[in-house]
Amino acid sequence: MTMVKLQYYAQLREQAGAGGEQWSTAAATLRELYEELRARHGFSLPSDALKVAVNAQFSDWDRALHEGDTVVFIPPVAGG
Amino acid sequence: MNRFDLSAAPVDLLRLREALQHPGSGGFCSFEGRVRNSNEGREVGGLEYEAYAELALAEGERILAEAIARHGVLAARCVHRTGALGIGDLAVWIGVSAAHRDEAFRACRYIIDEIKHRLPIWKKEHYLTGDTAWVACSHTERAHEHESPHAHPAAHHARHEHHDHALTDAALGAFTPDYSRQTRLRGVGAAGQAKLAAARVLVIGAGGLGCPVLSYLAGAGVGTLGIVDGDLLDASNLHRQTLYDARDIGQRKVDLAARRLAALNPAVRVHASPEPLHAGNVREVFAQYDLVVECTDDMRSRYLASDAAVLTGTPLILASVYQYEGQLQVVGARPGEPCLRCLWPDEPAPGAAGSCAQSGVLGPVPGVLGTLQAVEALKILLDLPRPVEPALLLVDLLEVGIQRLPIDASRGCVRHGGCVAVAQHALAQAQRDREVDVVFACLHDAIAAGYRLVDVREPDEIAAQPLDAPSCRVPSAQLAARTAELPPGRLLLVCASGRRSAQVARALRGQGVRDIYSLTGGVLALRPSHDRAPATTGGRSAP
Repeated sequence: MTMVKLQYYAQLREQAGAGGEQWSTAAATLRELYEELRARHGFSLPSDALKVAVNAQFSDWDRALHEGDTVVFIPPVAGG
Repeated sequence: MNRFDLSAAPVDLLRLREALQHPGSGGFCSFEGRVRNSNEGREVGGLEYEAYAELALAEGERILAEAIARHGVLAARCVHRTGALGIGDLAVWIGVSAAHRDEAFRACRYIIDEIKHRLPIWKKEHYLTGDTAWVACSHTERAHEHESPHAHPAAHHARHEHHDHALTDAALGAFTPDYSRQTRLRGVGAAGQAKLAAARVLVIGAGGLGCPVLSYLAGAGVGTLGIVDGDLLDASNLHRQTLYDARDIGQRKVDLAARRLAALNPAVRVHASPEPLHAGNVREVFAQYDLVVECTDDMRSRYLASDAAVLTGTPLILASVYQYEGQLQVVGARPGEPCLRCLWPDEPAPGAAGSCAQSGVLGPVPGVLGTLQAVEALKILLDLPRPVEPALLLVDLLEVGIQRLPIDASRGCVRHGGCVAVAQHALAQAQRDREVDVVFACLHDAIAAGYRLVDVREPDEIAAQPLDAPSCRVPSAQLAARTAELPPGRLLLVCASGRRSAQVARALRGQGVRDIYSLTGGVLALRPSHDRAPATTGGRSAP
């Protein structure tokens, strides 16, 4: 299991009911991690609609997870 | 012919009205200001008007030209009396001819308000008690102090904070902007101020983000500000849109913003346009500016702006907000620099990105993001130091944190042929999509033009406001599955605002349904049938 720190923005924050959490996961990649969280929190957006960043750098969804990673999921927002 | 006149003799109303007759005019509105028998609780027997004629004439012409341009009316005239007048005498006359009554009323109101505030005209009231008082007309509601007609009329109110007073000062040529607090900065100085004065900045959207952007850029002395916004001010805007107040509800934001900015800094030229940008005009408009700041709540506008920035090489500052947080991206629009599509290649499905109306927003949140946009804009215009590395800024105002995520351009549009090719392709697609939207002032015109109507609203919406023309009814969500029920021929989809109908029409075109269109603006944009001028009844494609 890999322990990661998660941060949620915009709709994801609202749907998760929190701005972030510590999470222990068996997922190997970011994409797997997001699908796991999507099932858990009922996220409405597919991963294709999001950007993901790890340790303050944008990342590909295929990137492998490492212990202690900080993962941020970012949907586009439209309000003005 | 002068549109604005001062007259020492009584005014011939018939001639003035006749001069405003126009075949395209479906509405004529006039206002008559008359001398009343009391002011501030004192009985008045008569009064004298005195004007600083040269300035009043020039400023009066300017006001009428503004009214015509801002409200799109056909013609306007105004005459202000000077000299001695008795109770009931006509003091000021305004007439406006327009295609429709709305513009006529608005322009008329605009003219009288501006004249009251800006013209250097004073009146001497003769009270029945035998004494007199000079009153600057711009302060008639509160004028009670005795003052000399030759004193600077605005000067004794100069410390009062109401913006109209500053405007009176400006009308008198007394206002000189004082930029000393920013020119004192080593990075600004006189050279920087000259750069700002020469700069042209377009602000798209005069809402929660646009208000601080416009205020700060006007205050800083940016020489030319363009404003694009098609919306009318709604009461629900006031908790975050700080340029406006409760009296402004129902008026066009571009007009309100232009007026407020002219009051804030008369040295700034403001070009206001209520016509939204679209794939057909966006490149041409961007090419007229040095910098664009995107402040709408509309994802499509944001993608359109990013594409146009890339294609015209115009730097663009994007921002958007969601509840308690926001995002900011500066698109440098130079080769190799990432655009919006480098992050999210395609515009999200409608509704997926949230909006202030659906998701809610804390008022100061767009204030913070708009203020950040203003800072970025000034940094670019002044060539101040800023991070070299392009980044997406995430601003979380609950946790009070700002995260800069560097954007790696090599992982963006480059993989699809580069930002320019991607933008060209997207703009061409948007141009094709535009053909879906058509404009009609009334549904009978659409039918006369060969369209069959499909009402895609929900049954409760239809019950509340049925269409006054025959239509087939299929709710938007079911349309794709029920195309077999649609009548043959050219179809015009109608919903409340034009959003759902456009979305479904585009989706069905994507599925191969060819002859399908959407009524721009929906039911909201239709005119009541008794209020149509003959000149505008013909249907036309969206501009």
